[in-house]
Amino acid sequence: MKRKLLTMMMAFVLVLTFSVAGCSSSKDTNDTSTNAPDTTQDTDKDATSNDDSSKDTTQDNASEDKKSVVTVACGAVGIELDLTKKAVELFNQDNPNIEVRVLETPDLAQDRLGLYLQFLEAQSSDVDVYQIDVIWPGDLAEHFVDLYQYGAKEVAGDHFAPIIENNTVDGKLIGMPWFTDAGLLYYRKDLLEKYNLEIPTTWDELETCAKTIQDGERADNPDFWGYVWQGNAYEGLTCDAVEWIVSNGGGSIVSPEKVITVNNDKAAEIIEKAASWVGTISPDGVTGFGEEDARNMWQTGNAAFMRNWPYAYVLGNSDDSAIKGLFDVVPLPKGDAGRGAAALGGWQLAVSKYSNDPEAAAKVALFLASYDIQKLRAIEGSFNPTIKSLYQDEEVLEASPFFGSLYDVFTNAAPRPSTATAPRYNEVSTYFYQAVHSVLTGESNAKDALLELEIELQDLLGFEVGAPE
Amino acid sequence: MMKGSQKSELAKREQRLAYKMLLPTLVILVVVALYPLVNVFVTSFTDKTFASSKKAEFVGFDNYKELLSVKIMKLPKVENEDGDMVYENPLRILPRKPMRYKEAFQFNFFGNRYVFGATNPDFLSSIGNTLNFTIWSVLLETILGLVVAMIVNIKFRGQGTMRTIMLVPWAVITVVSARIWEFMLMPTRVGLFNMIGDWLGISNGSVSFLTNRALQLPTIILVDVWKTTPYMALLLLAGLQIIPGSLYEAAKIDGANKFKQFIYVTLPLLKPALVVALIFRTLDALRVFDLFQILLNNQRYSMATYNYFQLIQAKRMGMSSAIGVLIFILIFVFALIYMKGLGVDSDD
Repeated sequence: MKRKLLTMMMAFVLVLTFSVAGCSSSKDTNDTSTNAPDTTQDTDKDATSNDDSSKDTTQDNASEDKKSVVTVACGAVGIELDLTKKAVELFNQDNPNIEVRVLETPDLAQDRLGLYLQFLEAQSSDVDVYQIDVIWPGDLAEHFVDLYQYGAKEVAGDHFAPIIENNTVDGKLIGMPWFTDAGLLYYRKDLLEKYNLEIPTTWDELETCAKTIQDGERADNPDFWGYVWQGNAYEGLTCDAVEWIVSNGGGSIVSPEKVITVNNDKAAEIIEKAASWVGTISPDGVTGFGEEDARNMWQTGNAAFMRNWPYAYVLGNSDDSAIKGLFDVVPLPKGDAGRGAAALGGWQLAVSKYSNDPEAAAKVALFLASYDIQKLRAIEGSFNPTIKSLYQDEEVLEASPFFGSLYDVFTNAAPRPSTATAPRYNEVSTYFYQAVHSVLTGESNAKDALLELEIELQDLLGFEVGAPE
Repeated sequence: MMKGSQKSELAKREQRLAYKMLLPTLVILVVVALYPLVNVFVTSFTDKTFASSKKAEFVGFDNYKELLSVKIMKLPKVENEDGDMVYENPLRILPRKPMRYKEAFQFNFFGNRYVFGATNPDFLSSIGNTLNFTIWSVLLETILGLVVAMIVNIKFRGQGTMRTIMLVPWAVITVVSARIWEFMLMPTRVGLFNMIGDWLGISNGSVSFLTNRALQLPTIILVDVWKTTPYMALLLLAGLQIIPGSLYEAAKIDGANKFKQFIYVTLPLLKPALVVALIFRTLDALRVFDLFQILLNNQRYSMATYNYFQLIQAKRMGMSSAIGVLIFILIFVFALIYMKGLGVDSDD
């Protein structure tokens, strides 16, 4: 009996020591990072050390000249961080009373959200300004201040109206638009010319063009494919699939009026079409592709067409690119809707409710999203501005000519249903891309997958089912 | 009892000292492990939302019910549009209220078709994935680890260097090595494996190791075996080194060949080290997170990544706590089985 008890105790202690990381991910903020990928952990540590020092400075300076410290959590993809630091320097020149610190966050949006949630759950004042994805405002609104109260009223009108609308929750502007993104079709000018083809405007034309070029190029290059896009099971596939379905008149999963519209013939038809590309005009491996996988293939000259965000434009024209100067961008093809659709992406700046000095933090956010800074970012990093007048600015247009020709695409980009389904958008998107992915890999057919998805969304959201408008 | 009363004064004093010295460890264990655990346990009975001001309410066993409810139902034959007799779509058969049962899989039994429905098939399959992963990876790692340990246990020139090199995969941070593997497993000929496959003519150079469902688990197990075999080898090497060489000499004189020496000398004496290594690896493998999270993302879950999904993506803290508790219980059962089954608790 005694020994049995001892065994139980030993097993218990053993499991206890092992399960600290395993279980407590669901528990408290610090432990979650034990479980999270190490990148997050590192950033987390950085954050803590950063914050400690910032707290110290706050206290030190309080006794001297009441200097505020504002920490901005922002992305660090490619040139992004350098540009933010540059902007911060400009800000510090004019505002000696506010010290701005920049906190690097993980590259993947999903990891970044994980980190933010830890700060927000702890109601931490360590981060004052958050760079948030276009799909998060509905979800995270309760943690952010209303920027209309801090002087955003005068400038809100300069930005694209749909983005301002996206960032407005219950009449409060919770995020200042910083840059926008929209899906584009990249095509090889030289190859279209070589095979005497027109720029495709419908999905059918794209299929034919891609097939023709692929068949021709295969003679010299066995690695050549017609069309590359994002087919891995992640948020990127949600963007691609929303573009297909909207362009075919199948609605955008859940309508803004909170009606589940995803289960319809138009949607099923275009998803089946996309599934038929896998292994014919797109590599089998496209179901494992993210943005960078597609771009790598494209930029080495192994694809005729690519669906991607604007960031690939500057990179494709860099000196080490095999296709420098050989490509251009157009709006994505259209289906039965008679009009192509581009998924709306982009990032906003939001000010935390838990900030020690929201006034100063809002000032920083508004400065970073101002005309001058957006112009700087547009010229040096081809980040799409959200301010309408910047699309007529000559210096900007010289750096990225497509900003002008594709103005309509950026103003009319199709939003994902993040506001209608808040705060459960992440789950909606996960179910959606898993369903689409199962069709792409041939595990399921579009009709069954969409019926199941519809029921899933009904259970999740409790909304009515209806036809898309 | 007899034994206890015969204890000398010295032994008793030592025992008291041992308890005193263990005290700080126990206190730390209670603070960093027991407190969060109790907290998780309490949260698992609520519908708490992560990072939200929404008030949490007590929901009893609802989270557990949602995770574990299953139902097996017979599929009737119905006529489809073309007039053929087919099995009814499980969506129409499985109950939807108060909780929806989703199809996990179908099976045939005595000529009838049945559907296995669960309220949360994702969680059940995550348990399956984790167990599958654990059994295969630990088995392969133990066998390979033993082979490696026995090789580096032989005296040869450069033995020290060999032992150091052997440890390299283990020394690389899992996230980093997972990323390296992700690159090698790329679904185009940029990826090493596709390049080799194409070069040998056994694949079309476009095998998607990480999205093809049949290849996902074998791939992950392979990566884990590559990474953790050195760790296993290290633990077993320590065990091998305490076996005195004289035993082998004696066995040799008695006419035992190498194989018999291994069975009758090496294995029995290695058992304590082997058991410790097995327990460490099994408990570690059961809570695998990084490999699944990085290589498979949301396509296929392990228990830990499903927990992460519920907490971060779905923000359901109550639900993810319930998952945490279930993981805890499962690992606890495994630890018990090991301790009873392999006789770790015996005094001798």
